[in-house]
Amino acid sequence: MTIKSIVTVAAGALVLAIGAGAAGAYDGTKCKAPGNCWEAKPGYPDKVAGSKYDPKHNPAELAKQQAALDGQDARNKKRAEHFKKTGKWVYDVSKL
Amino acid sequence: MMKHLGTGLLAGASCVALTVAMQVGSASVSFANDKLNELSKSNENWVMPGKNYSSQNYSPNTQISTENVKQLRAAWSFSTGLLHGHEGTPLVVNNVMYVHTSFPNNTFALDLNDPGHILWQHKPKQDPAARSVACCDLVNRGLAYWPGDGKTPALIIKTQLDAHLVALNAETGEEYWKVENGDIKVGQTLTQAPYVIKDLALVGSSGAELGVRGYTTAYNVKTGEQVWRVYATGPDNEVGLAADFNSANPHYGQKGLGTGTWEGDAWKIGGGTNWGWYAYDPETNLFHYGSGNPAPWNETMRPGDNKWTMTIWGRDADTGQAKFGYQKTPHDEWDYAGVNVMILSEQTDKAGKKRKLLTHPDRNGIVYTLDRENGDLVSANKLDDTVNWVKQVDLKSGLPVRDPEYGTRMDHKGKEICPSAMGYHNQGHDSYDPTKELFFMGINHICMDWEPFMLPYRAGQFFVGATLWMYPGPKGDRQNYLGLGQIKAYNAISGEYKWEKMERFSVWGGTLSTAGNLVFYGTLDGFIKARNSDTGELLWKYKLPSGVIGHPMTYEHKGTQYVAIMYGVGGWPGVGLVFDLQDPTAGLGAVGAFKNLQNYTQMGGGLQVFSLDGKNPYSEDINVGEFDSKG
Repeated sequence: MTIKSIVTVAAGALVLAIGAGAAGAYDGTKCKAPGNCWEAKPGYPDKVAGSKYDPKHNPAELAKQQAALDGQDARNKKRAEHFKKTGKWVYDVSKL
Repeated sequence: MMKHLGTGLLAGASCVALTVAMQVGSASVSFANDKLNELSKSNENWVMPGKNYSSQNYSPNTQISTENVKQLRAAWSFSTGLLHGHEGTPLVVNNVMYVHTSFPNNTFALDLNDPGHILWQHKPKQDPAARSVACCDLVNRGLAYWPGDGKTPALIIKTQLDAHLVALNAETGEEYWKVENGDIKVGQTLTQAPYVIKDLALVGSSGAELGVRGYTTAYNVKTGEQVWRVYATGPDNEVGLAADFNSANPHYGQKGLGTGTWEGDAWKIGGGTNWGWYAYDPETNLFHYGSGNPAPWNETMRPGDNKWTMTIWGRDADTGQAKFGYQKTPHDEWDYAGVNVMILSEQTDKAGKKRKLLTHPDRNGIVYTLDRENGDLVSANKLDDTVNWVKQVDLKSGLPVRDPEYGTRMDHKGKEICPSAMGYHNQGHDSYDPTKELFFMGINHICMDWEPFMLPYRAGQFFVGATLWMYPGPKGDRQNYLGLGQIKAYNAISGEYKWEKMERFSVWGGTLSTAGNLVFYGTLDGFIKARNSDTGELLWKYKLPSGVIGHPMTYEHKGTQYVAIMYGVGGWPGVGLVFDLQDPTAGLGAVGAFKNLQNYTQMGGGLQVFSLDGKNPYSEDINVGEFDSKG
């Protein structure tokens, strides 16, 4: 290893150390892009999928909220249409 | 050429038609705004929870002042007949007071000429299962009023915990329409006071502690039809970002971040519900509110900045599209839900420029002031010098400079984090005195330890993932778990506090200020107090039957100024008391902090009204309210 390469390696180590130090001191100000400033904390994954912190979300569970809203919206629409036609609000859509 | 001309003429005709339609439309919709505005200017009315669209909670009435406030006495009272927390404040319109309650969200209309007479009452039958998915007691924050247009009657608009939005005929209490705005089976609930702009009823969402993805919806008050809906997270078209979103402050972030700052589909269960207070500027046609905390609380489970939770919004009232969004706490690690009150003011900044401002005391312990026309950050100061998770907010970048020592993460118990998850300020509706340019803020003084844990998402189940221990902040009495609150007067331009006082418990409900140089507020241990708004000197207090988590209001009736406040301890700080919990970490950490509250107050909801010397309709005419055998 030449002196030059030792210096290069040392410089690289310094950069790594600074990088590690920066992550260790996560303060939310080092942005990848405007409005995107989160960094993984030291020892924690950048992505949790496949890590020990993987929440293992079930896509079927994740879809339930939107499905509920879509169902409500469809029922509300029927109620409002009936109201506009008749002037009477009927909540029970089975009676419409 | 003819074709070109014809096209031009047609185009011109269309333009004229469109212009006429717009004028007709704007005349119609501005009617509702104008009418509400006019009503709100009268000392006799209190037409929305913050009195007017600026949400200043300020009355120009001077009848009750520093000179005579000691003469305030009970005038009349009303029991709601319900336990649990009573947040918010009643409305008064045209000599009728409209009172809301905790679950099951009853509504009462009282005749101010004879307040012992209930004009009508609306008592909805709700699925009792709604109670089990309520985050923090069974509260509700109030009502909205739409003034009617001659064809459609004046309406009282209310939310129910089971996520229904209901419009009642303001004169009779009959249901005019009732829509579903959520499903308790997936954790979606409603606790917010709806908000009326033009012919729209706006309503947010609750349930971030169950992973509910936050949304805001507008309904046509005349038909109950949905007009628009926007979300806090997800694709830009669903978040509702205008083409020029954040063009004045591109460093806040612009497009693609509602999904890009989340891992995978976590944004679908990412929280950001909004259940706090709205404000509206008819000149800009923008309304303002804050989206809440990301879900779950365990930050390790959701890498990224988690946009657009924790955001102050400026959205067009007609379309819901956002002109600006400023995220206060990117990648929240402490449940600093950003839903708190937005108060509008017009003030001169340090550079001497007159500006339209928005001031927001946030859960995260920072009080923000923004230019409400474009989202520019004007000031961001600590609510108390003991805030420690953040060193400062950089006004140029808008970013909080975090202190890593107080960050949270899996396999680590964070200690002595200030503020606690309750924030140094929570849902209380504060006030602003434009003549003094002072904000009067009710403050929590609570810190915490925080330890996350993993849990799966199951729709309709709690999705928090953190254990909390809460206790008084450094200025409180940690030995006895007292000294949990403060009341402060703040100047948003200088950043200085004119005065501040400690309180035994949180000042949870907010404040009312008046031109009588007074600031009123209620306390968790059941006092309503009046202080000199210039000095903070305590001038008057009265012990109520139960603790207060709502804010006072004032109205004038037949020449007499009254001050009214709802009592009924509960809400997040009262969960230990109302559900008789002992584990200090129960109630998301509230039980430990407020373990002494039960020694000062107990449950029971109602309304207490005050006037000078207790003057009231019955003292003026003893025959008022008497049985008249002649009918």
